[in-house]
Amino acid sequence: MTNLNTIDPAAVLDEGKFGDDEVVIGKSRIILRRFLRNRTAVAGLAIFLALTLFSFIGGFFGNWDKETIDPFNIGMPPSAEHPLGTSQAGIDLYALTVEGTRVSILIGVVVGLVSVLIAAVYGCTMAFFGRKVDKVMLFILEALIMMPALLVVAVATSGGANGLKNTVPSWLLLIIVLLVFSWMGTARLIRSLSLSLMQRDFVKASQYMGIPPHRIVWRHLVPNIGSLLVLEVTRGVTGAILAEVAFSFIGIGIKVPDVSLGVLIGQSTSQVSTFPWMFWAPLIVMFLLTGSLAMMNDGLRDAFDPSSSSVGRAKRSKATGNATGSATGKKQKKIK
Amino acid sequence: MTSNTTARDTAQGTDERLHAAGLHAPASAVLSVRDLNVRFNTENGVVHAVRGVDFDVMPGKTLGIVGESGSGKSVTSMAIMGLLPPTAEITGSVRLQGKELLGLSDKAMCRHRGSDLAMVFQDPLSSLTPVYTVGTQIIEALTVHNPTMSKQAKEARAVELLGLVGIPSPKDRLKAFPHEFSGGMRQRVMIAIAIANNPRVLIADEPTTALDVTIQAQVLEVLHAAQEETGAAVVMITHDLGVVAGMADDIMVMYAGRPVETGSVDDIYYSPRMPYTMGLLGAVPRVDVAEKSSLVPIDGIPPNLTQPPTGCSFAPRCPLASEACLDGEPDLRAVAPGTGHRAACIKSEALADVDVHTVFAVPDVPVSRFDSLPRHERKTVLELRDVRKHFPLMKGALIKRRIGTVKAVDGLSFDIREGECFSIVGESGCGKTTTLLEIMEFHKDQDGEVVIGGLSNKQAADAKAKSSMRKELQMVFQDPTGALDPRFTVYEVLAEPMENLGMPKAAIRKRIMELMELVGLQADHVNRFPNQFSGGQRQRIGIARALAVNPRLVVLDEPVSALDVSVQAGVINLLDKLRAELGLSYLMVAHDLSVVRHISNRVAVMYLGKIVEIGDVDAVFDNPRHPYTRALLSAIPVPDPELERTRERIILQGDLPSPLEAPAGCNFATRCPVFAALPPARQEKCLTLEPALEASATDQQFACFYPDGELDADMVVVHENH
Amino acid sequence: MLRYLAKRALTYVFMIFLTTSAGYLLAVSTLQPALLEQERIPRPTPEQVVNSFRLKGLDPTLNPWERYVDWLTGILTRWDWGRSPNGAFINAEFGDRVWISTRLFLASIILTLVIGVALGVFTAARQYKASDRAITSYSYLMYIVPAPIAYFLVQLGAININESVGERVFFVTGISTPGLDGDGWAQFVDMLAHYAVPTFAITIVGWGAYQIAQRQYLLDNVNADFVRTARAKGLTRNQAISRHALRVSFIPVAQSIAFTIPAIFAGGFFAEKIFAWHGVGSWSIDSIALQDVNAATATLAYGSVIFAVGAILADFATTLVDPRVRVQ
Repeated sequence: MTNLNTIDPAAVLDEGKFGDDEVVIGKSRIILRRFLRNRTAVAGLAIFLALTLFSFIGGFFGNWDKETIDPFNIGMPPSAEHPLGTSQAGIDLYALTVEGTRVSILIGVVVGLVSVLIAAVYGCTMAFFGRKVDKVMLFILEALIMMPALLVVAVATSGGANGLKNTVPSWLLLIIVLLVFSWMGTARLIRSLSLSLMQRDFVKASQYMGIPPHRIVWRHLVPNIGSLLVLEVTRGVTGAILAEVAFSFIGIGIKVPDVSLGVLIGQSTSQVSTFPWMFWAPLIVMFLLTGSLAMMNDGLRDAFDPSSSSVGRAKRSKATGNATGSATGKKQKKIK
Repeated sequence: MTSNTTARDTAQGTDERLHAAGLHAPASAVLSVRDLNVRFNTENGVVHAVRGVDFDVMPGKTLGIVGESGSGKSVTSMAIMGLLPPTAEITGSVRLQGKELLGLSDKAMCRHRGSDLAMVFQDPLSSLTPVYTVGTQIIEALTVHNPTMSKQAKEARAVELLGLVGIPSPKDRLKAFPHEFSGGMRQRVMIAIAIANNPRVLIADEPTTALDVTIQAQVLEVLHAAQEETGAAVVMITHDLGVVAGMADDIMVMYAGRPVETGSVDDIYYSPRMPYTMGLLGAVPRVDVAEKSSLVPIDGIPPNLTQPPTGCSFAPRCPLASEACLDGEPDLRAVAPGTGHRAACIKSEALADVDVHTVFAVPDVPVSRFDSLPRHERKTVLELRDVRKHFPLMKGALIKRRIGTVKAVDGLSFDIREGECFSIVGESGCGKTTTLLEIMEFHKDQDGEVVIGGLSNKQAADAKAKSSMRKELQMVFQDPTGALDPRFTVYEVLAEPMENLGMPKAAIRKRIMELMELVGLQADHVNRFPNQFSGGQRQRIGIARALAVNPRLVVLDEPVSALDVSVQAGVINLLDKLRAELGLSYLMVAHDLSVVRHISNRVAVMYLGKIVEIGDVDAVFDNPRHPYTRALLSAIPVPDPELERTRERIILQGDLPSPLEAPAGCNFATRCPVFAALPPARQEKCLTLEPALEASATDQQFACFYPDGELDADMVVVHENH
Repeated sequence: MLRYLAKRALTYVFMIFLTTSAGYLLAVSTLQPALLEQERIPRPTPEQVVNSFRLKGLDPTLNPWERYVDWLTGILTRWDWGRSPNGAFINAEFGDRVWISTRLFLASIILTLVIGVALGVFTAARQYKASDRAITSYSYLMYIVPAPIAYFLVQLGAININESVGERVFFVTGISTPGLDGDGWAQFVDMLAHYAVPTFAITIVGWGAYQIAQRQYLLDNVNADFVRTARAKGLTRNQAISRHALRVSFIPVAQSIAFTIPAIFAGGFFAEKIFAWHGVGSWSIDSIALQDVNAATATLAYGSVIFAVGAILADFATTLVDPRVRVQ
């Protein structure tokens, strides 16, 4: 039996800091505070935001754009003129990296957000209607999981003359295809979570109070799967960036003349020993991107966890126990 | 504060202290615990979970450790077994047959665990490894301590053990997996494992808490038999004062990690000297007492064990607390010289022969305006007519075919009048919860008629009728935590039903403040989240939500079963008060018959989807006619040692049969103690005809051909005074 | 149980049919082998192209539906998966390719599982110690590295070794040295030299997921009630964990193992491409580049079948290790 007498000390602490004022304290603020307390997560967020900013305004700091060929510097290592060197075609690598980062982030964010949206709608629909609808939708979902995504990516992006290739830019095409194949896992997760939520007493209580279904979904289901959705978005963004790099790396994702991190990395592999900077610069940017997202994901998961331990660190020795206890108390007061 | 002293200092100090107090363990004690302290490092600081526990257990005797959740009773047992995580800091002394156990390595401890020191755990469902057969798991216990024993011998012993704990056809069951056993059967297997090597000490930690009363009675019987078989000393840990009343020789009451009162079972039950013990005893409703008096509520919650208490840890909740109580924690002191009865209260002398009701502020028994009105003159608020719920049982891979019907609810009819509390009782699986769901469902296509406030499910099924029905009928759930959306503040929780009815904001606000006061919560707590409240407070919020729209009938699904005894009393009193003040009617489902007796006016006993006995609660409980009701009532332990030791109890055989296997004729015949005693000629009737509820002059009906019949001797147990 | 598996299998056959059909229709309406023919020298006339394709059953004048019906009839009646634009028969090519893929992945899959699960147990037993932190961090790192890049880095490392040693220790591409003569030992050394790099690359990228899963499941069970019961019987903590917790923690792992075999196959596209093993994966990509409808669809069907086999294996594995599922 669970100990019903225990009161979540974290919650009390958080509440205590505000005092008993009239304002309704949002859970989101508690979560935000827990997130901000996690240094790794904040660092991840900072790196990600910095990279995004860099991809939009970085172009203004370079003297070259991604189309102009510098005939005097072809395949040159980093120099004052070209901080990241130039490609074999003589294009400034800094300009290319800025452009590539932007495309990669764009793909990641769009795919991450939209696929979670699709997954949420699909998953909740399955869970809410159940029975036949659930069965049919599950079948479609499994069939899509079964399709090897890579082949479809390849077919779609390398179609012939009348293919989509000539009418839409390859990054958009890649976004669409990645979207089609990226939401199923999340949808399944959301379905099972919603199903278990539907069994919870507070949902039943609302049903017995005569609350209409759409309100139950909106007020009880969605907020309770909200944390999962946010986590899935960060994971989805990471996944999409990785997929773009992987596909472009072996030459089936983004196609030249469009640029992305994957294209830059892929193009440079053949001469990695002669032109190492061409390979490592975009690769490091990619690691910064995926790494910062992973750090954020970790911090968010911790912040959403109701049994989270981020209130204070466990104290090893009892002799120092009281001292540390008061120290944490002070620290928390400071945060307030 | 001993926190700065080293372990050795503490040990020396302990020795001196014990020497001074003359408390050295008696040589005959098989287990003696001295000054046991357990500390855990947690995220929120050092939790001092057990603070100075001393006790001795003599061979063949039983010690009951009683306390609420968080009192440190389970931690004590785990510390004795050496099963606490290595991060726990344990000091003091635990001697088993004179040998010190604390400080032994895991490996050295293993020579004792399972051999002379064994344990039975609370949750039988998760305590057995799901991937091994029960035979393997019993034999493992034998192998560990008897490496030379032959395979045949071990198997024979395993069969013998299973037989001993009352598992039918033990030889075949050896190969069964735990999931093929019911909870009660699994607990028997756990006991078999524990006694496999004839332990000297058997620790049972809430061994029956997860079980139905009938199964609880069986398992307690098995424990009793096991103790007689092995001659072991038993340490019985429980929160239920009834369970230990009949079994224990000595009792230790724990609160906030410390023993607050110890003594013989009679001392504790008949002359408690510590307000907490008195409160606990007064908080438990009695199934065998008709006289109605309010229960003793203990306000507040147990202290947080991360802060060392400066005074008596019970003082904040104690009605007798004075300045002196806050000055240092009182030690356990002998209540009367020469006896083992000790209490940790500076006022224990003054508490002799004091009625608990005068100590605690016990509210008066509330009287409803309907109570004086004869039942037939009151309006009916709910009526069920022949309600059935049958589930088809399907089998087959590609083409499903129906292999049978589960009759979860089978032809139920009853009514509830204004201002009345009607309860349904029975073992889990008897269909009582399904009945509630059927009522809450309120749908046209249901089999049978449900009439709520004059509105029948047959004629009214449109949204409007349904919503007016919802206003009449609200529900309180068993688990107060699950019933409140963790993301809602209390304000939002309470506002939800009213917003749904389109009430204006100002009115909602006013009503919420009223509700908070009504259920005894502070009005300025409306902005808190449910996890900032204790279990009892959460249940009060649940009740407030149910009352928000002024319903006439409230459905209570096990409203107090998730709560601690002291908290439970407060909630029961509240329910009683609300019924009287607001003229509410209740439909309650509960497995705790003591609670049912305390709060209900009428009761229905269900067995396999049918009502077997129904009527006025005092009539049914004082003079049960149906053998099932008799068995059910006799299974409930009463917190009265004298009575417990002498009374005869009916121990039903086996578990509740699956509703699928419901036999023709009377469906109780398979387990019926009366049926078993009947001559075959008279048994015939039970097997072929289905008994109906017979109307009678009084308000008590039952469905049995042989009421008050002779009971089968095999199913009746009377314990000789031990 | 058998009936249940049969039912699942039937569902999957239906699913494979649907995905393959969808794949074929997508491929046939986007891939245009005729365009590639135009780039040949001497440039064939459109009529010649149409004629040559019609002979191979790839008539570009028919609409997609008609070609789909033809193609399906071929498979259902003769088990004939059609021909490539260059005239090769899919059925003939297919066997070789599958064999090459299997050789590439078999050793890596086994190594990945064994190392991943073993490390998972190892780290769970040493939770929060330095070795646990190092190994688990490594596994999490593998989550943020795209597989092809990791393969490429391993390849790069092997090339560096070759260069620093000054002789060719490892072959970083290809499956064997063509035309190698010599006795069995020479053949064996050659095989090792070819297998080492790709097997190593796939294994070190793959084990992370299993390590994390096994560690998590075992930790979930280490404090389970039944482990406590086992200890109460007189087993030491380590005995109780290895006899009880480990066995139970293996239930979800067994299921995920069976399920991720197809995932390794999917990762195989990248490995085959980078290490130049001409298995099913690289075939599928090449065939798309060559606008080869039939070959692309055949590889897609193969992928679906592998997935279905994995899913059914997962069911089977669960029933094998979990008695609770056995009695259904």
